[in-house]
Amino acid sequence: MLFQIQISRMKTSNVIWVGNYSTVVKRDPVLHWSWKSELPLECATHFVRMRSRVDDAKIPEPRFWSNWSSWKEADAQKSLGRDPLFLFPKDKLVEEGSNVTICYMSRNQQDNISCYLEGQQIHGEQLDSNVSAFKLNKVSFIRKTGTNIFCKVDQKDVIKGIVLFVSKVLEEPKDFSCETQDFKTLTCTWDPGTDTSLPKRSSQSYTLFESFSGKKILCEHKNSCNWQVDSDSQEMYNFTLVAENALGNRSVSVLFSLTHRVHPKTPYNLFLKNVSGTKATVTWKVHPIGNYSTLLCQLDLLGEGNVIQQHNVSIKENGEYLLSELEPDTEYMARVRCADANHFWKWSGSISQKFITAEAAPSEALDVWRNVKSVSGRPTVTLFWKPLSKLHANGKILSYNVTVENLDRLSGLEVHSVPATANGTELTLDQDSYQIHVTALNSAGPSPASVIVVSGDPGNEEVEEERVNGTEDGFSVSWKPQSGKAIGYVVEWCDHPQDLPCDLQWKNLSSNTTSTVISSGAFRPGVRYNFRIYEISTERMAYLLEKKAGYLKELAPSDNPQVVVSNLTSHSFTLSWKDYSTDSQPGFIQGYYVYLRSKAEKECHPGFKKATLPDKSACCQHRIDNPEQKTFVMENLQPESVYEFLVTPYTSAGSGPLDAFTKVTTPDEYSHILIRIILPMIVCVLLIMITCYLKSQWMKEKCYPDIPDPYKSNVLSLIKSKENPHLTIMNVSDCVPDAIEVIHKPEGSKIQFLGASKSLTETEFTKPAYLYLLPAEKNYSGPGPCICFENLTYNEAAADSGSCGHFPVTPEALPGQPGPLTSPENLLKALEKNYMNSLGETAAGEASLNYVSQLASQMSGDKDSLPANPPEPVLCSEYKMQMAIPLGLASPPPAENSGLSSTTPLDQSEHYR
Amino acid sequence: MLPAAGEPAAGDSWGMLACLCTVLWHLPAVPALNRTGDPGPGPSIQKTYDLTRYLEHQLRSLAGTYLNYLGPPFNEPDFNPPRLGAETLPRATVNLDVWRSLNDKLRLTQNYEAYSHLLCYLRGLNRQAATAELRRSLAHFCTSLQGLLGSIAGVMAALGYPLPQPLPGTEPTWAPGPAHSDFLQKMDDFWLLKELQTWLWRSAKDFNRLKKKMQTPAAAVTLHLEAHGF
Repeated sequence: MLFQIQISRMKTSNVIWVGNYSTVVKRDPVLHWSWKSELPLECATHFVRMRSRVDDAKIPEPRFWSNWSSWKEADAQKSLGRDPLFLFPKDKLVEEGSNVTICYMSRNQQDNISCYLEGQQIHGEQLDSNVSAFKLNKVSFIRKTGTNIFCKVDQKDVIKGIVLFVSKVLEEPKDFSCETQDFKTLTCTWDPGTDTSLPKRSSQSYTLFESFSGKKILCEHKNSCNWQVDSDSQEMYNFTLVAENALGNRSVSVLFSLTHRVHPKTPYNLFLKNVSGTKATVTWKVHPIGNYSTLLCQLDLLGEGNVIQQHNVSIKENGEYLLSELEPDTEYMARVRCADANHFWKWSGSISQKFITAEAAPSEALDVWRNVKSVSGRPTVTLFWKPLSKLHANGKILSYNVTVENLDRLSGLEVHSVPATANGTELTLDQDSYQIHVTALNSAGPSPASVIVVSGDPGNEEVEEERVNGTEDGFSVSWKPQSGKAIGYVVEWCDHPQDLPCDLQWKNLSSNTTSTVISSGAFRPGVRYNFRIYEISTERMAYLLEKKAGYLKELAPSDNPQVVVSNLTSHSFTLSWKDYSTDSQPGFIQGYYVYLRSKAEKECHPGFKKATLPDKSACCQHRIDNPEQKTFVMENLQPESVYEFLVTPYTSAGSGPLDAFTKVTTPDEYSHILIRIILPMIVCVLLIMITCYLKSQWMKEKCYPDIPDPYKSNVLSLIKSKENPHLTIMNVSDCVPDAIEVIHKPEGSKIQFLGASKSLTETEFTKPAYLYLLPAEKNYSGPGPCICFENLTYNEAAADSGSCGHFPVTPEALPGQPGPLTSPENLLKALEKNYMNSLGETAAGEASLNYVSQLASQMSGDKDSLPANPPEPVLCSEYKMQMAIPLGLASPPPAENSGLSSTTPLDQSEHYR
Repeated sequence: MLPAAGEPAAGDSWGMLACLCTVLWHLPAVPALNRTGDPGPGPSIQKTYDLTRYLEHQLRSLAGTYLNYLGPPFNEPDFNPPRLGAETLPRATVNLDVWRSLNDKLRLTQNYEAYSHLLCYLRGLNRQAATAELRRSLAHFCTSLQGLLGSIAGVMAALGYPLPQPLPGTEPTWAPGPAHSDFLQKMDDFWLLKELQTWLWRSAKDFNRLKKKMQTPAAAVTLHLEAHGF
């Protein structure tokens, strides 16, 4: 029968769906048919009707439809209750990407309802006055707790919500395969893909179905399942894996033979036996698979992480293999994995074991070289050797043995042991030839000996040095064989020729080689490398063959030579830089540039050409092509001119820095003539001065004696001519001395006299010692002839005494003096006292010019100290100051009474006030 | 030493101050105030108060995570739905006068009962949580809440109050009925966390009040001594 079904929504006339349903109708049939509405049925009344027709090929046409049945109403709203608002569908589960229709139904048309999806307001389509629907297209998974949709009645405390659970799409299981390890259990594994599980919803499940046996099991895990193999009878298996969740299912199948799916277990008990320097035996075990199965095992030998050897071994249960061609003292790893020998499916897991082979004697002789030098006249041989590579050392080198054998004389062998850390040793030998054997020792034995012969005679060192060009690859060194008997050649050089030690390097070359490329990571541009090529004779003696020098890349000189200027004349000077070493420069010095510039001269001298300096200034340049010419004469210069010069070397890479010019000023053309005149004159003047100095006493007496001779005074002539023609000069013999004054003048007593007189009282003085000699003849105290003279030369402030008079000292003359002054002691005391009293105000005679006249009793220093003794000077002692030179001291001014100091015993302190 | 009464000398106030200081200095030595022998319920009330503050802090973090897990609108700050299906939850909000008039026993009993119920609901929440991290956080909080419950029981015991006995058949269960939609369930979870937070605020106030009340006798003694000093 064929049934045609119509579905209407809201009203019968609104047909929304028409469909046919065909089924076989049996007797007393109750047919079931279902239809899913996009719109939740709760939101709208639906109507359904149908009609039928025979749908059997046996019944001939025409076939007629029956009449439509009456409309049947499906109204879910009636059972909803009285809530003011409803929202449907409740808590629906859909797959990601589906379309979902949501509707709400309000009881009150007046209510204003707003709906929100994940917090965002949504606007739907109004189906009815009370019903609105929202269509959500291709919903996406947001979270496991579902997508929240809620509606609320504005201004009312009414809220209704639903949770739309969106599940991830269930994926088909990937990489589905089954295998067995023991023919008892089949393990099937797969990749389940995305997890579709949701809270409170059943997760996806996996079912394994085997079609040949018809068995089916529910898998416990999401990615694997174990299937028990019943017996050996079933060879083929056809598995179907079905993944299923609430929304649907996915399945995948696999067909295989059990024997082709054998995955052996990981081997065990891997051991190394009889490990020697080059061999080792490996043993291991496997889990048996069935009774007749054979396993193919792969044995890998790994060294430093790389597979060195690989061997395949077929075994039943126990495996064994002898590894050979191993390196001594080397760490290896043996690794074994197995698979089914008949039908390879998968390798088992691997088992591995590390082991170290035993040591063996070093396999190669050391690469030895020597350097012979003379220390204190004795040849000293420094031996160098390169450490053996790990490959050749065959173990840890414990020491080096150096055996020295004298070839010229029969003597015992000299054996030296050098520690393993050293890469050389030094031997002091004599002029004989020696054969030296060097061996390296490890725990297994010595290496083959390396033999070298040295002689005290250094041989021909006078080999001309040639130049060699460096390239990026190094230095290409070639040489010419000399003897034709060479067993090899050695090229020797220093990696760091500027350092000490210079890091000696050498390269051994075979006898048929005449060139090589020397390269080193240490080579730097601008460094001169010297190569020495030695020929090794059949006696293993090295002879210097050639010398080469070169630069990896020549650079311009970085410094200029220190230039000395000599032979400077008004027209020329000489430059020399003999200390400049051409060998230690960053390139082969090809010559020098001499630069000259002068403000006076615009044109260049012959031999110079104009050049422009980096600072754009012009100068003259002369090129010297010989690097050994280290002097240059600048000629044709102008006298009294300033010249600037610079000497800079140049290499193939350029010249040195053009910065520091040196200034030279050419002298005057006549300066040398002047020097010839002025110099003798200076000498003459000096001679005169020396003579004057040596004859100063004589000069003094002649020109400016201390005591002028009055007879020689021109004053005398004036007086004589003008006043008194009879005036004569007093002769010394005319005076009779009656007193001697001894002045003791200590040097430390300097009188501060410039200040107020008051301060002088506080000053200490050393007492002068006086000694008076009483007149020898009493009668001589009478007045003598009065002689006056003027001394035009001296300043004698205190020379107030008569130059040739004496005054009689009487006891009364000293008031306040108790004792008679007749005795010299008393007199001295009285004088002392007075001196002390008046000293404070005394003009410091010591500080003034102290002139003791031949005859005058000295009163200068104490003229005021003796006022107490007013001798009645009979003689007129008139002494006039000729030149007032007070010397800054407060001598009383030569007043009217200066010559009358003896008249009044005036206290000097008062006197000065 | 004390100045004569009625003659407030210049040094009076200084003397009083000195006496007050002396009395205060010797207060710890007064036997009536020396509680080292029998601490009473004071420390346990303080501990309970501290625990409520700690749980309040802990809940703030947990609620943020859980409400995000539920999704919008539950994690929106202004979301305030009607209390539809959460009527069984113990209400923390109460009239202020009623709250003031509560005696200590009733106050503690209400706290104890509320947390007993809330803990039960919270454990149900934990069982439903879909992520392991959330389950871990919830379990940790449940342990802390269990500790608070024990602490309240300790205070009640110290004050001599019996623990409330659950009436048979009134054991709260967290089992969403068939009519309980997922959205309503989320609303319940939301209200559970909200009530829990309100209860923790209320408990902090309850225990703070109780703490002050316990300290009152000591304060009275102090005042008495001050008066005696003068």
